[in-house]
Amino acid sequence: MMVDSFKFLPRIIATFYQMTEREPQHPIPWTPLTKPIGAAKFGLVTSGGLYLKEVQEPFNLEREKAEPSWGDPSYRIIPSTVMKEDIAVSHLHLNTRDIKADFNILLPIHRMQEFVKDGLIGALADDHYAFMGYQGFPPDSRAWETEYGPQIAHALHNEGVHCVLLTPA
Amino acid sequence: MPVLARTLESKGLSTLLITPMPYWAERVGTPRTLAVEYPFGHALGLPGDGEMQRQILAESLQALEAISDPGTVVHSEQLWPGRIEEGIQLWQPKHPSPIITELTPKFREMLRQRRKS
Repeated sequence: MMVDSFKFLPRIIATFYQMTEREPQHPIPWTPLTKPIGAAKFGLVTSGGLYLKEVQEPFNLEREKAEPSWGDPSYRIIPSTVMKEDIAVSHLHLNTRDIKADFNILLPIHRMQEFVKDGLIGALADDHYAFMGYQGFPPDSRAWETEYGPQIAHALHNEGVHCVLLTPA
Repeated sequence: MPVLARTLESKGLSTLLITPMPYWAERVGTPRTLAVEYPFGHALGLPGDGEMQRQILAESLQALEAISDPGTVVHSEQLWPGRIEEGIQLWQPKHPSPIITELTPKFREMLRQRRKS
């Protein structure tokens, strides 16, 4: 089966994607796996707009409302110890209800902890990273590429992480 | 998000993107992708359904291990359990985002022009 990217998109939003021209830059970066999955340490990154309620600042949606072609490029650190009631979500392009009901649909910390227990993966990092997916229109991902991406890569390396699962929203 | 996958991969991390939008992953050139035909914001499925979430994660680990050619997209066989219309409703915000509000009249006009030509 081939996944249909537009199956759950209203026509207007499909047009939004189809209007954005993009060609992949080659070569595509590549880091081979250095360990079997069962011995590898994992980190998680999402763009679901999650943050720690009353501890961290929400993403800057006020500026986006005033300046619709801009999206907040910053990130929040979400620790593995997080519980459902700790999480809030700021994202103007999503209904955030299901993420607040169970953040594992985007940031599968609890499922990956089960995988560690079952020996399916080696370990899970202590810290994970949440961005807010909308990066303006046309999309401007320079801050992710030059500043925030390298910052979290550095932090993940410091934790001894080998593999990262990314879940967009 | 595919851009972040590229950035992390270029810094020595092995990445896998789990996305409902392989269209975009391919255009950006994403190192490894598992495409899942679920609504936006539901990469691993439904809230409270641990089994569904574990299934997508298990496929993710398999894809991470199996892909040896940069840019490969593996397509999950999992089907969304609900109706398409419900899936479309499920993820959309109560109010359209500011950019969609701003651009909708322009897009409508484009679609009209396209139909004419």
